[in-house]
Amino acid sequence: MKYTIRHAGPQDCREIMRLIVELSVYEKLEEQVNITHKELEVDGFGENPFFKCLVAEVPEDKRTKEGHTVVGYSMYYFAYSPWKGRSICMEVLYVMPDFRGQGIGKALMCGIAKIGWDNKCTRLQFVVLDWNKPSIDFYKSHGAQNVTEKEGWQEMRIDDNAMEKLAQMAPKI
Amino acid sequence: MNFTIRHARSCDCEHIMRLIMELAVYENMSEQVKITSKELERDGFSNHTFFKCLVAEVPEEHQTKEGHTIVGYCLYFYTYSTWEGCVIYMEDLYVMPEFRGNGIGKAMMCRIAQIGRQSECVRLQFSVLNWNKPSIEFYKSHGALDLTEKEGWHAMRFEVAAMEKLAQMTGATEHKNS
Repeated sequence: MKYTIRHAGPQDCREIMRLIVELSVYEKLEEQVNITHKELEVDGFGENPFFKCLVAEVPEDKRTKEGHTVVGYSMYYFAYSPWKGRSICMEVLYVMPDFRGQGIGKALMCGIAKIGWDNKCTRLQFVVLDWNKPSIDFYKSHGAQNVTEKEGWQEMRIDDNAMEKLAQMAPKI
Repeated sequence: MNFTIRHARSCDCEHIMRLIMELAVYENMSEQVKITSKELERDGFSNHTFFKCLVAEVPEEHQTKEGHTIVGYCLYFYTYSTWEGCVIYMEDLYVMPEFRGNGIGKAMMCRIAQIGRQSECVRLQFSVLNWNKPSIEFYKSHGALDLTEKEGWHAMRFEVAAMEKLAQMTGATEHKNS
């Protein structure tokens, strides 16, 4: 099946939001989605972007039943390892179920790797849920290592009230 | 003990590198450190920055045996959650052992939380090694959740060789800019 991988623009935000919600349902965490396409527009395409995005698009004759041609996306941003230097983080990689098996997911991931490579990054990092065996197998088949298993890294988060509490205790700079 | 938390400057990079090495040794991973203060200067203090940093400094009368006044650092950057929006990511938090117990680590973490709030971030995220019980307890005591335990998130990584292989495969797909 023909498809193109391209950089997302602000006009793609509604489509990206549609796919974000689809993925959250797949991960059984849909009640955690608290943003809309408006936040995506500001945060990804404003003065100080927090992320960038690649989208996968099929031709009109292959569009979904609902008429969509954007069938996958990968959101990424740059990060830093104090040991290895620049790294690129793949926050999300998602392809609509009906469009899997065509190489689209792999093409998106390779696109991220190339962007990272071109920017002198030495790592491509991401997280995956431990029960998501198909995804884990896919990543491992391309050389990914599970650093939670291998090195013992635990992902931690402080949010909402706990974060506000800490912020209020901050010393003046 | 008096201390100040301030934004790092380009001239602090050698000290930050010194502390990065100390932390790597503490985590039993010193052989993995491949960058120098030059990369820190380029990547943190030029036109395109990949990170920001806070440092903790003590007055001259409390300097270390070697004469250092920078005794801690916290390296951070911004990331994004497709569910919640902007996130501030605390990549490293380190205080020299002889300066612990004075609230320096907590002060830096609080400052990160404040910077995050000012940037409208809704999350402060970081990783910690599962054997590092003192740090895990410290973070949990301030409301941190362990997402690996709680939700099953595993950190994955492509290192250089695997990454290069993927990067070289992009030519096989049709690719155009928007």
